[in-house]
Amino acid sequence: MDLRAVTGLIFVSGSALAQPAPEQIRRGADVYERNCSPCHGARMQDPQGAFDLRKFPHDERERFVASVTRGKNQMPPWGGLLKPEDIEAIWSYVISAESIYGH
Amino acid sequence: MKRLAIASVLCLAVNAHAQTLDELRNDGVLNDAYKSDNVLTYGMGYHQQRYSPLSQINAKTIKRLVPVWNLSLDNNWGEQAQPIVYNGVMYVTNARHTVALDVGTGKQIWKHTLDWPADTPRVVCCGVSNKGAALYNGRVYRTTLDAHVLALDAKTGKEVWRSKAAEWKEGYSLTLAPLVANGVLITGISGAEFGIRGFIDGWDTETGKHLWRRHTIPARGEKGNDTWPQDNNAWQIGGGSAWITGSYDPQLDLMYWGIGNPAPWASQRRAGDNLYTSSVLALRPKTGEIVWHYQFTPNDAYDYDACWELILGELRVNGKMRKVAMQLNRNGFLYVLDRATGELISAKAYEKVNWASHVDPKTGRPVETDIAKSIRDMKATEHWPSTRGAKNWQHAAFNPKTGLLYANTMHEGRMYKHLETKPYEQGQRYMYIENLPMPRAAGEPVGHIEAIDPLTAEKKWRVPLTDFQIWSAMLASGDLLFTGKETGEFIALDAATGKQLWQFQTGSGINAMPVTYTYQGRQYVTVLSGVGGLYWNTNREALKDKVTPGGSVWTFALLPD
Repeated sequence: MDLRAVTGLIFVSGSALAQPAPEQIRRGADVYERNCSPCHGARMQDPQGAFDLRKFPHDERERFVASVTRGKNQMPPWGGLLKPEDIEAIWSYVISAESIYGH
Repeated sequence: MKRLAIASVLCLAVNAHAQTLDELRNDGVLNDAYKSDNVLTYGMGYHQQRYSPLSQINAKTIKRLVPVWNLSLDNNWGEQAQPIVYNGVMYVTNARHTVALDVGTGKQIWKHTLDWPADTPRVVCCGVSNKGAALYNGRVYRTTLDAHVLALDAKTGKEVWRSKAAEWKEGYSLTLAPLVANGVLITGISGAEFGIRGFIDGWDTETGKHLWRRHTIPARGEKGNDTWPQDNNAWQIGGGSAWITGSYDPQLDLMYWGIGNPAPWASQRRAGDNLYTSSVLALRPKTGEIVWHYQFTPNDAYDYDACWELILGELRVNGKMRKVAMQLNRNGFLYVLDRATGELISAKAYEKVNWASHVDPKTGRPVETDIAKSIRDMKATEHWPSTRGAKNWQHAAFNPKTGLLYANTMHEGRMYKHLETKPYEQGQRYMYIENLPMPRAAGEPVGHIEAIDPLTAEKKWRVPLTDFQIWSAMLASGDLLFTGKETGEFIALDAATGKQLWQFQTGSGINAMPVTYTYQGRQYVTVLSGVGGLYWNTNREALKDKVTPGGSVWTFALLPD
């Protein structure tokens, strides 16, 4: 995944919300690619059966963190494996999906 | 006198819950000892033909086939198991429960509930499930999601022993039905998506003592390890699961276990054939000794897991009857092997295949195409069959009278790409691929129900599926076929034509294994309903308004005249 182009996009778009740091997004993308993409889809495309993360409201960070940590519906809890910083990094990646991939 | 009477009562009581090796050997075998009251083995016989000659329920009488009872299994994870039936008692499993019930009434006799850690599903790639129990000598054996093997008292459901096969936190899990062969309890392992090193285990049925372990990837210094890189540890984290029960030939005393894909799916750091991944192993049940092997997909770069059923039968090959093992492999080829020696008899494509042009009959190896090269060069490539295969685990049936295989197959290509692999992390996914859907032409089938000649792969008939693939096993019952749809319909087809003759809407989707048997002279058909597993996981959005989770057992018989 080439995040260099991505970083550029983020800076250009300069949204009012504080943008996560590129290294934070990259870390989130790594954790996502390994652990999350099998169900939620490569690059959040083709989520198939799991929740379509492109639709997750960007102002509900706490709900996201709680669901990933404790599990939700068919998703097992990840709190026993991922560090809180990993989960925060995934959140950064998720809310950056639109600016990275244009979806 | 009194003592004698007590002794005989005791014997009776024990017999009602005892299964001998002879009974297991004769299960599903059409000889003098054939007993249609029982279903004692995975696949309705060690040969895993999923065939019954029973004929009360047939193409003429099927219009009178009705449900006679239904029992809830109190489970929303999905039902994939094959029931075991012995002398009027049925044993069913799912990831949570083991249930014994009365075949005549459908009433529960006992229920045993498991409690595995809530985060165990993290290491289960493809659905929280269980494929059934084994029964031997008054005990019910099963596996658990957190990689234990369990023996329960068949009469009471009380736990007799529990042995740990592996540590689930390292990516190991168990969902398969155990096999009892030559008096040894045999289990495999799941977890090739998590960089495990796979194995098959032998256990003492009485005590749960571990008898032997055969790793599916040879260690340094063992024959076959030279098919792995010698300058890295790829072999120690190379996958090779064994998640479907092997078949068994008691005369040859050989079990046939299909072995899973290598890890990670992206192949750049594991040059070589990677034995014994994506292969079949012929093993001795007493020792786990490998007598022969055949590798379907050397250096598998496509998740062409070869775990499922090796169907044992006899086929006329060039005028001579041969004892064969057959597999509709995920890679799109239908293999027929001599099951005494492992010699390749035939390998013909039965679905659209673009990664290989054919299997070379001399070397037994697939001849890879430019498509394979493009995938190995890490380019996004249109790939047929997709990693889910031309057929997945939904077991096929074989009718020894027609000599045909009956299968639910898949017609699916995807845009497949290897990613750069990253260092292995214990207990975490180890795949490194992207696998995205492609646009599908209107009306192009997603799969078929079909009757296939094992030696030519020609279709006797083929019924296209245009909405959802079928992930239920096939049952060949006399002149009928039974299978179930993801949308809940349990259906019967005319085995000669593929024409659908009957259907019944069960309470949830079906991804399980129908069986047929008799009880007090009446023929029954049983199937578990309860959507779950990989196909549901990957199509939940499309299915959510059509099917609801919730497991139960459905049993059918003919309405009397």
